Amino acid sequence: MKFKSMIAGIAVVYAAPAAMAQDTIKIGLTGALTGPVAGTYAPAVEGLRLYLDGVNAAGGIGGRSVELILQDDGAEPSRAAANSKRFLTQDGVVVMINASLSSTYAPAIAEAKRAGVPLIFSASACPPEVFPPADPNLFCTTGFGPKYDSQAALAFIEATDGTDVQIGFQAMAIPVSRGEIDYAETLAGEMGMTPVAKEITPPPAPDYSPFASNIENAGAEWVWSWAPWVAQVKTFEALRRLGWEGDYVLYSHLEAEGELERIKDAGLYAIGANAMFSEGLPVMEEIASATEAAGSSYEANQMTEGWIAGMVIEAALSAAEDPGDAASVRDALSSVSVDTEGLRGGPLEWTEDNHFRTVQSYRVYRWNTDSGQIETVRDWTSYDVQ
Amino acid sequence: MSKPLPAASGHFRRSYADEFRLIETRFARIWATVFTLCLLAFPFLASPFYVDLATQVFLTSIGALALMLLTGIAGQISLGHAGLIAAGAFTAGILFKEFSLPFWVTVPAAAVTGALLGLIFGLPSLRLRGLYLAVSTFALHFVVVYLGGEYETRRGFSTGILVDPPKIFGWEIYAPRTWYLVLLAAAGIALLVCINLMRARSGRAWRAIHSNETVAEALGIGIARYKLLAFVISSSMTAVAGALFAYYRGFVSIEAFSMYLTIQYVAMIIIGGMGSLLGAILGATFVTLFPYLIEGLMSALPGADRLAGSVFAVNYAAFGIVMILFLVFEPQGLVGIWRRLRDYFQLWPFRYRPVGTKS
Amino acid sequence: MQLVVNILVLASIYALIACGYVLIYRVSRVLNLAHGELMMLGAYLLVATASGLSNSPVAALLLALALSLVVGGMVYLFLMRRMTGEMVLAAVLTTVALGILLRGLILLIWSASPRHPRDMLGWENPVFTLPGDARISLYAGLLIVSTVVVYGALFLFLRFGRWGMRMRAAGQNPLLAAQRGIRLHAVFALAWGLSTFTGATAGMLIALDSGLDSTMVMIGLKAFPAALVGGLDSLAGALIGALIIAAAEVGVIRFIDPLLADVVPFLVLIVMLVVRPWGLFGTREELDRV
Repeated sequence: MKFKSMIAGIAVVYAAPAAMAQDTIKIGLTGALTGPVAGTYAPAVEGLRLYLDGVNAAGGIGGRSVELILQDDGAEPSRAAANSKRFLTQDGVVVMINASLSSTYAPAIAEAKRAGVPLIFSASACPPEVFPPADPNLFCTTGFGPKYDSQAALAFIEATDGTDVQIGFQAMAIPVSRGEIDYAETLAGEMGMTPVAKEITPPPAPDYSPFASNIENAGAEWVWSWAPWVAQVKTFEALRRLGWEGDYVLYSHLEAEGELERIKDAGLYAIGANAMFSEGLPVMEEIASATEAAGSSYEANQMTEGWIAGMVIEAALSAAEDPGDAASVRDALSSVSVDTEGLRGGPLEWTEDNHFRTVQSYRVYRWNTDSGQIETVRDWTSYDVQ
Repeated sequence: MSKPLPAASGHFRRSYADEFRLIETRFARIWATVFTLCLLAFPFLASPFYVDLATQVFLTSIGALALMLLTGIAGQISLGHAGLIAAGAFTAGILFKEFSLPFWVTVPAAAVTGALLGLIFGLPSLRLRGLYLAVSTFALHFVVVYLGGEYETRRGFSTGILVDPPKIFGWEIYAPRTWYLVLLAAAGIALLVCINLMRARSGRAWRAIHSNETVAEALGIGIARYKLLAFVISSSMTAVAGALFAYYRGFVSIEAFSMYLTIQYVAMIIIGGMGSLLGAILGATFVTLFPYLIEGLMSALPGADRLAGSVFAVNYAAFGIVMILFLVFEPQGLVGIWRRLRDYFQLWPFRYRPVGTKS
Repeated sequence: MQLVVNILVLASIYALIACGYVLIYRVSRVLNLAHGELMMLGAYLLVATASGLSNSPVAALLLALALSLVVGGMVYLFLMRRMTGEMVLAAVLTTVALGILLRGLILLIWSASPRHPRDMLGWENPVFTLPGDARISLYAGLLIVSTVVVYGALFLFLRFGRWGMRMRAAGQNPLLAAQRGIRLHAVFALAWGLSTFTGATAGMLIALDSGLDSTMVMIGLKAFPAALVGGLDSLAGALIGALIIAAAEVGVIRFIDPLLADVVPFLVLIVMLVVRPWGLFGTREELDRV
């Protein structure tokens, strides 16, 4: 027992409150910076960090610099909860950011709601609470738009092949992915398509062929897949190995650009809200040079999400009456409008009861086997978010 | 069974009642009081982050004590601990969400669920021993996790169930300090329950079963009954810990209860020291604080920025190494180290205990 | 027909992994819960050799296989040897700890991003059409072939090989075997080496077929029910067990609900533990020995 009191003693000594610098604006980010899924989240965090470094280098927000406090949660919900608690009770942040697996949302939401501090989701699927009528404290900057993703994907299939198609679905056995694919299945039925198969794969499957066989046997001509990247791609590759010749639409995660180039299959379509770097817009050059200057280990084309989150935060802090006050930042966030400079299909706008965005646009990409390049199959198509 | 005499010299038990006292000497009493006062004062002195850490330690201590009772004392290996914690958390979460039942209903309900599951988890133990038992509890873990996942998906709680802070007598438990005190009390109660179970017939029966089942049976101990009792008590304690977890963290989500959690709990009782309740608490403290310790060390190292990306991996590897070191070089765990230290000071200038006394 | 091929491929994966559990359990009564990690390590060794020897792919593959054999032996000599004579539980927990350590090291060295060793080696993965219009990729086919080869070789080795005989002797009665001059540590190290070798073979072939990331450990865990259903100390049992588990899994995916794929192996396991805990071909006395 004495051991514990010793630890307690040490803890008390070291727990001297961090000196509160008056001139910094604190933002707390909990994210899967390390660990097995870090590959999906860490690049986004890096993008945000680079953007805010740029803001600080340019003089900060009204002379005050922005301090981004990064805490790793390794995609573990318990760690995310501990981190959020720490931000709110110890660091006194004005904005919390979550860049982790959707399983860490619940604890972060619970803490943010309670403390009245705005919480921005900046790397993974947007939770239902940010859609109208939105929770006043929750915001989402990511390209993932549950339900809208499926609408856009099915609309793309309809535009390409009509509604007289047999369509298969693929999800992974995690609640978010299953929920989306269940919705897509119903929607496809309503649109007049014939849903023929719905395969839910376990997180790691030794062999995806049994699942792929079901899709192939059911005679699917199209497949819509909304799951973590590995599950989407492995199911596709298993289908191709079985000699399936249909078309496969998957959600364009940040790995998509590199992976389309690796797979080089013209029947593989990536649909998403973020523009790919093959376009070479000025803002992309900017991200690339920032990445190079910082010597970052991640590809610039994986940082879009983080960069957009940075743009939003900068805009909100500049517009806030008192950027050091959470309530004031929250009000500013609720009326933010950010020009995404081509990274998205349009500006990102939030209103009082819509914290997703007023208009969500999608683009479809694929690998063009003739030109050996990524090509845009369908340009920005917009959906009003209600 | 005779309890070893306390280490103070000149102390004897003079009456039957003396045998039943929890704390026997004045020295021990003073230390216990000082220690309790320190624990009570801690949240008012430390920063919220450390209070949160300490609260986590209390919470895990409950689970570790329960596992120690089952594995360290009764000798029944279970690899279904995370499943049981999940079951408790989900019971509380579901009752709260579906029927908005209050705290004082959901927590006992979690205990009941735990007890029932303990009965199910324990049934194989009547037939299986050792590894096979471990494997069967391991299989049940997957079943519990599957059911939890189904519930979340079917009801559309895809990112987990949110649980509001509990209210006791109209008083809300939310502030870190309040939680600290509540969970300190809960851990204290759990510890007292365990100590008393150990001092009673049940504790003796469990240790007999652990040492040698055949002999225990020959001594007239109802093997089946006591094995199941161990499972039921341990599981219901674990489930209560799970329910408290749900309230403390404000959410329930199946991803929080992975196989790694079970391994962490098993590591706690190994690192703490098998067969000792103090060991369970020391182990829980160590394992809970370990990742923060590693993180702190890594950020103190030169070139911390470059290392930041590998914190998780280093944590994992270091945890594995520590477990191996304990298993290979210190099978008695932290308690073994603690006892050696204590003996060293108590016996100085001598080196060994007199023959026939137990440390 | 495709159904049969799918079952056979999955069964070979499970069988190749399960025989590692059996080899170690049979000689030393230790359940190696780090087997999934060792198998993944084998696959990552291929990534390492492939990046070093990208112009001679066959050499890279052979080197990786040889390394995995060595790694297995080293694990015994430097770690598990210390646990001989300790409680079996302590030994099993040591393997758990080893697993955690390996997982951390693999993440540290190779990071979590997916790897594609086949692309690194510059190999194709052609697909063959079998009679009955079933299709199988080259590496999935190789999985089946190597299962047959590995099991055949192990059978001959244990039956007729000098060291194989020693392994059987050590498993049956370590004390007597030691007294007859069999070097137990060498035998155990060989068992660990072979077990890692076969696991790594499975890991490499899976990685060559469909890529590699750190979730591969879970596959190792799922093969465990196969070993137990067949009987933890029987190689033939592992083969049959793998077939049963694979058939149950693929059948459930095909005819009932793909969602159950992850639970089915463990449900079969529970049923087996209730009905016949020592497995289909296991020895009954084992139960009391653990």
